[in-house]
Amino acid sequence: MVSQHDRELFRNDVRSRGTKLSAADRENILRPYLPDPSDLQRRSPQRQNKAHRRASVRTFVKAQTHRIVYTFVHIIFGIISRLLQSYHATVDRICAVIYYHHRTPELIRKDVKGLKRLPEHLSVILSLRKEDDALSVLMDEVAELAAWSVSAGIPVLSVYEKSGALKSCIPILHQAITNKMCSYYGSSIQQPRLRLFAPHHPVFDQLPQDVASDCKNGSLTVLLLSATDGRETFVDLTKTLAEMSQSGKLSPEDITLELVDAEIIQPEPDLLLVFGAFLKLDGYPPWHVRLTEMFCTGGRSSGTNTSEEAVEYHGFLRGLWHYAGAQMRFGR
Amino acid sequence: MSTSIHLSRFRKWLLASPPMEFVIAQLRELLVGAIKQGPVPQHIAFVMDGNRRFARSHGIETVEGHNMGFEALARILEVCYKSGVKVVTIYAFSIENFKRSKFEVDALMEMARVKLSQMAQHGEILDRYGAKVRILGRLDMLKPDVLAAVNRAVDMTSGNGERILNICFPYTSRDEITGAIRDTVSEYSQPLPANRPSNASQRTPFSETHITQNIRARAQHTKADDLPSDVETASESSNEDGAPANNLPNQVYESGSSFSSSSTLHLGGQTDAANGRENSPRKEKAVYMSPETITRQTLTEHMFTGDNPPLDLLVRTSGVERLSDFMLWQCDEETEIVFLDVLWPDFDLWHFLPVLLGWQRRISKAKKNPDAEGDFDGESYEPTEESNGKKVKGL
Repeated sequence: MVSQHDRELFRNDVRSRGTKLSAADRENILRPYLPDPSDLQRRSPQRQNKAHRRASVRTFVKAQTHRIVYTFVHIIFGIISRLLQSYHATVDRICAVIYYHHRTPELIRKDVKGLKRLPEHLSVILSLRKEDDALSVLMDEVAELAAWSVSAGIPVLSVYEKSGALKSCIPILHQAITNKMCSYYGSSIQQPRLRLFAPHHPVFDQLPQDVASDCKNGSLTVLLLSATDGRETFVDLTKTLAEMSQSGKLSPEDITLELVDAEIIQPEPDLLLVFGAFLKLDGYPPWHVRLTEMFCTGGRSSGTNTSEEAVEYHGFLRGLWHYAGAQMRFGR
Repeated sequence: MSTSIHLSRFRKWLLASPPMEFVIAQLRELLVGAIKQGPVPQHIAFVMDGNRRFARSHGIETVEGHNMGFEALARILEVCYKSGVKVVTIYAFSIENFKRSKFEVDALMEMARVKLSQMAQHGEILDRYGAKVRILGRLDMLKPDVLAAVNRAVDMTSGNGERILNICFPYTSRDEITGAIRDTVSEYSQPLPANRPSNASQRTPFSETHITQNIRARAQHTKADDLPSDVETASESSNEDGAPANNLPNQVYESGSSFSSSSTLHLGGQTDAANGRENSPRKEKAVYMSPETITRQTLTEHMFTGDNPPLDLLVRTSGVERLSDFMLWQCDEETEIVFLDVLWPDFDLWHFLPVLLGWQRRISKAKKNPDAEGDFDGESYEPTEESNGKKVKGL
């Protein structure tokens, strides 16, 4: 905390581009704010004199005070965050009642109708839970998200799950999403066209014949991502480049941002939804989240299980609202 | 209207009065000391966003806003370092920012130059507190006078090292990742100081004789458990006087005809055998390091922040919720990203405290029961029946 007087001195100096004060003047202003250097010299061998012992008593008392304050502050903070959490949980319950999709695409469309913009590409970070039926729960979540996205008019949905468990069962997942669409759109003729794929997997695209029907309710591309599509791709790219460079096919100077960008082909999501207590990327592919808006639904499921939060419709909706309210600037 | 002005003036006066200042300063000290008692993030990154909007809303010049931002930075650095944070990384200037008006860019550059050269005048203080300043980014895009100031400040503090301030100066994360790849590649295309360059074309890092040797050595060791003491002496004798065919352990060392006695000595102990298997092929064959040894860790080490602890916390002010090409690589699995709806010049301990407390709370909770926030632990999750996939949720 700098006193008003010193701040004025400092600002005057800044205004004159650092010419008013000399180096010694600045040090004099600074001196009272620096911590005692003797505090830092603890690694020097301890001298057992009386003054030192008195100092150590003082530090002991200080440390104890800090400990007590730490505990106290954390108790207060814990209470406040609990209260906030339950407040948000209540609000969310009410929201969940007001805004519910009732499995009708028209209702979802109405919910997003007033928004200024919608993401072209929505990305979601999900986590696999620990229970036995974790994978089926996860697939159900993906199916729900796919249905909401296509109803809201979002053409691309990418789902990131760290372990890549989803990739091993693409046909089953496709079936699950189709079944979910059935419950939203009714018979299969009305359904939007669904394409499901993962990097290094073929596009899973059933019913290629009824091209006519897919125009009516839009189409959805679902992309499955996992941790191996992130930093590991850079490792692979580096390996290949190193090999090429070793055999003289390329010099390290040829490696430019444009080259890497051309090699790392992945869509750039507009909005990243994180269903969790706090915002962490969990190993999400790094290159393409540069300008992605991020939204975390927050740990609001009133503390039953801390890190894993259910994927709920109003969380999805809040993310879209948030995205519509944000303004975009490209470094300008 | 007038009352509110009077009120704010009165508040300002009250806050600026010496006793009040003293009380607030003491309170800050106390809180920072208290934070120090718990787990503290080792590496925090800040995106200092909102200086210009602050200037606009307060009706001051943009440059003035940046100056206020610098003051906020000083305040927050004080909090960080006093509470025990080792590394602070700040996003000062993006490569994209060169697109801004020339006037503003020049002013920012001038500010950086002045601050850095002022800092260089206080070398003694910096030394005393062990602060180290590093500039991350494309230094080649800077003007010569700024670059000189940068180099001077970096050189002066390079010997210190307990507390590190990383200033990302003309920086974007994509540029950094590209640079890391480039550095790794050029490092791997440096030929090793090898003795046989003729082998460059056909790199076979593992020799078959070695592998058979090791398999046999393994077998030998399991059998030779009863007589562990005399293995080495026996092998030496076998090398000296040909083949005593009756001795089972010794046969191992004879079969490889090209083997020198130095490598047989590696097989003397179980651990030595393992080491020998890893080291010797590289020593003998590879002229280049094998690209297969590149891992995520290799790339991480080639980032600008390679030797820093992993990023624990990333704070962005001004309510913009994207990374804007900052620390893309470093925002790994456990990095908590926080977006705060406050303009950077207003940012202070009072905004930062809840973030820190929340982080501490989460970390100490995770320490108490590590299972609660574990990773996917590799159990085989069988893809269950399709009927399960239809399970209704949410109602």
